[in-house]
Amino acid sequence: MKFSVSRDLLLRPLQLVTGVVERRQTLPVLSNLLVSVDGRELTLTGTDLEVQLVARVELPEPAEAGGEITLPARKLVDIWRALPDNAKVNIGLDDQRAILKSGASRFQLATLPAAEFPGIDEGAGELEITLGQNQLRHLIDRTAFSMAQQDVRYFLNGMLLEVTPEHLRSVATDGHRLAMCTLTPGTGAEKKQVIVPRKGVTELSRLLSEGDEQVTLSLGSNHLKAEVGGYSFVTKLVDGRFPDYEKVIPRGGTRESVGDRQQLREAFSRAAILSNEKYRGVRIILSEGLLTVQANNPEQEEAEEAVPVAFAGETLEMGFNVSYLQDVLGVLESEQVRITVSDANSSALIEEPGGGDALYVVMPMRL
Amino acid sequence: MSKIQLLSPQLANQIAAGEVVERPASVVKELLENALDAGAGRIEVDLEHGGARLIRVRDDGSGIAGDELKLAVSRHATSKIRSLEDLEAVASLGFRGEALASICSVSRASVISRSRDGTDASGWCLEVNGHAEDVVLAPAAHPVGTTVEVRDLFFNTPARRKFLRTERTELERCEDVLRRLALAHPEVVFELRHNARVLKSLPAANDLAAVEQRVAGVCGAAFMEHALRVEVDGEGLGLRGWVAAPTFSRAQADLQLFFVNGRVIRDRLVAHAVRQAYQDVLYHGRHPAFVLFLELPAEQVDVNVHPTKHEVRFRDQRAIHGFLFAALRQALAEMRPEDRLERIREVPSTAGPVAPTQSGFALRFASRQAPGSAASVRDHLARYGELGREPSAHAAPEAGQVGASLAEASDTTLPPLGYALAQLHGVYILAQNADGLVLVDMHAAHERITYERMKQAREADGIRSQRLLVPLSLAVSEREASRADAEREALAELGLVVERLGPETLVVREVPAALAESDVEGLVRDVLADLVEFGTTGRVREAEDALLSTMACHGSVRANRQLTHAEMNALLRDMEATERSGQCNHGRPTWAVQTLAELDRLFLRGR
Repeated sequence: MKFSVSRDLLLRPLQLVTGVVERRQTLPVLSNLLVSVDGRELTLTGTDLEVQLVARVELPEPAEAGGEITLPARKLVDIWRALPDNAKVNIGLDDQRAILKSGASRFQLATLPAAEFPGIDEGAGELEITLGQNQLRHLIDRTAFSMAQQDVRYFLNGMLLEVTPEHLRSVATDGHRLAMCTLTPGTGAEKKQVIVPRKGVTELSRLLSEGDEQVTLSLGSNHLKAEVGGYSFVTKLVDGRFPDYEKVIPRGGTRESVGDRQQLREAFSRAAILSNEKYRGVRIILSEGLLTVQANNPEQEEAEEAVPVAFAGETLEMGFNVSYLQDVLGVLESEQVRITVSDANSSALIEEPGGGDALYVVMPMRL
Repeated sequence: MSKIQLLSPQLANQIAAGEVVERPASVVKELLENALDAGAGRIEVDLEHGGARLIRVRDDGSGIAGDELKLAVSRHATSKIRSLEDLEAVASLGFRGEALASICSVSRASVISRSRDGTDASGWCLEVNGHAEDVVLAPAAHPVGTTVEVRDLFFNTPARRKFLRTERTELERCEDVLRRLALAHPEVVFELRHNARVLKSLPAANDLAAVEQRVAGVCGAAFMEHALRVEVDGEGLGLRGWVAAPTFSRAQADLQLFFVNGRVIRDRLVAHAVRQAYQDVLYHGRHPAFVLFLELPAEQVDVNVHPTKHEVRFRDQRAIHGFLFAALRQALAEMRPEDRLERIREVPSTAGPVAPTQSGFALRFASRQAPGSAASVRDHLARYGELGREPSAHAAPEAGQVGASLAEASDTTLPPLGYALAQLHGVYILAQNADGLVLVDMHAAHERITYERMKQAREADGIRSQRLLVPLSLAVSEREASRADAEREALAELGLVVERLGPETLVVREVPAALAESDVEGLVRDVLADLVEFGTTGRVREAEDALLSTMACHGSVRANRQLTHAEMNALLRDMEATERSGQCNHGRPTWAVQTLAELDRLFLRGR
């Protein structure tokens, strides 16, 4: 194997592919990238056995010799990043070592044979959908923060992606709060639900641009595959049954309040400073035209914020984990926000005043 | 099929002996208990060949009348209980009426006795030859009391004899039995001879210092050096004894002696209560050391559980658990630097052969209670408060002036941990107190102080619970489910709202807010297991403590932070006032002292 390539052409693919590689490994070959060259086509592959990312790059000139080998991912990307802009790099093999040469720099890297590199068995895609990258990104951004982290209920450590003839929907919950985002129209195909693991979600969203270029998702029984530009991304799916989210979304809440999102968000973040740092509880009092936020901590310091809201009805007092509220107000983009509750013990529904494409459910805390 | 027939009394006795008489030490135990039940004031034990050839126990107790001797060695004959009511409230160590019969059935034994109140002019001797029927009764000279001689143990049960260990091992076990019983009966004189050589001679211990001497003899002088005296009474229960400081922990649970009404027992409930009391002060994987005597009304405890009576059952488990936990927790919490220092000052006396006439303990309690009538925690705090103010009069002495300012201050005004001299490698604080040099691990010490403050704040805060959006359903055993159902209110007080969905299914609807992110399922299972096993649980609190502990660790001064003298002194004063300040949250010690005497030894001074 012998080829040359400019630094800038390979920097972003290298960084993205290395993102998949776990820092600590028990299997040495997993900390390596598979580099393979054939004529003008160069592919880079990184995997952690759950998620795999393949980047395809077209070389400006054909390689002197093709072949494939695995190289240590982190070291390679660190070298690449540190090389000067527009540097040209020659990569070759000498016995079991890879030689990188660029100007007056020379690096020798250890390799492992390409045959040892594990691939993910992609399986057959059962359903294929195509949508804009910005749309998929929107689905992820609006909900990903609610995913659980290392919960024993493993099916919560990911995001539900639901495809139906009517809509395309993402749902995430950690058992305390829930986020849901729905895009219409759907695909016209049959209904299908998959749970994408947490790491798959974060790595996928890194690939997506803000533009409306297309991304093709292929949903299999065990895998989800995404084709984005020159990248193909595969993630295993979480095998489990996602909770029936429709059941936990409160419908018919009687007390609606509408307020300025930015004002509320700022009030929450100021009050949060004096909330208990363990469980971040704040007291929220809804009264005629006013939402009051109260927080106090073990040192008996107190914060109180009052924000004008459109609310008419009996005064209501509830406790919440302020981080959950901050998260929601942070991802919503509308000017105003609507909070609907029925009583102090049931969940609160937060959404854009007109409904919008996303909705959020937050459970109260008993204070 | 062979025919069913009644076993001969001899064989029945040998079967009973299988449970009770395992080795010479079991014989010693039974005979000593008999002697103690007879109200002996002096007990002599003679052993030959580790007890395998001869065990002779002689006491000056009430004795047995000649006409009762024969009855004494037959089965189910006893003077200790008469009726079921007696059995339900056994006050003596024995009660089964089996020991002598069992022993006699596996050895050549003789019982010589003279009754105290009897009309017999002389004593009587009964010789038994491995058979309750094969006896010879003859007059014999004997002072008031009883001597039981057991020769050739297991002479007629060769299988048992083969299980005997070396002479030395068997002797050690016998000694062990004697020492334990001697701990519970300090007023009795014990003497142990082996092959006619005196091995142990314990005079009656009438004051605390002498008792401590006995404890040190059993548990080692190091135990006493780190021990804290416990004396708690309440609700008809009394707990006395010594617990070792958490820093004096053991790799094995081998220094744990628990007596219930003078009887050594092993009990899971007790072990659990003790372990819970040591929670967050004991280094991971270590075991506490203690010698504790629990006294409670005889009817509150059932000793008729196990033939050798190593196990007992408490009528009200929850109350006993709660009492032990609270008493020990309190004792450990109040362990202050000055207690350790006083112990260190006492060391020479525990090492010496004779108990000092002046009891260190009496002095210590007197001095503790002097400042206030109740000597409550608040009094201590007040005292520390005053002490804390004193250094400001000296305006935080600079390193060079410390000597001078200390000279001005008389010993009585010097706080237990003294004043800081300097910081070593950014990790340790060096301080000078009345005894010598004090070394403090500043991170560990500060960690504990922060942690205790957080715990106090938590107590004041009450319970917060987070409702779950997706309730957690749990598959548990039917027993656990019923328990959870019965304890719903208690669980709700912990912040856990649990409902029963089916015979073996529970659903969790609310969890303690602070633990919402942790493994709730595991927590609920642990809590239920505790409730089923011990009727009480400290799991939620432990889980919260673990969280606070991590927060305290991050919120405390780290190594290489330069502290000024004022800061170091403030830390020392905080340590004196803080509960459990002798160990950090993980059970590592926070401070150590090098006394002047130890320092002198390093430099061969004063020889």
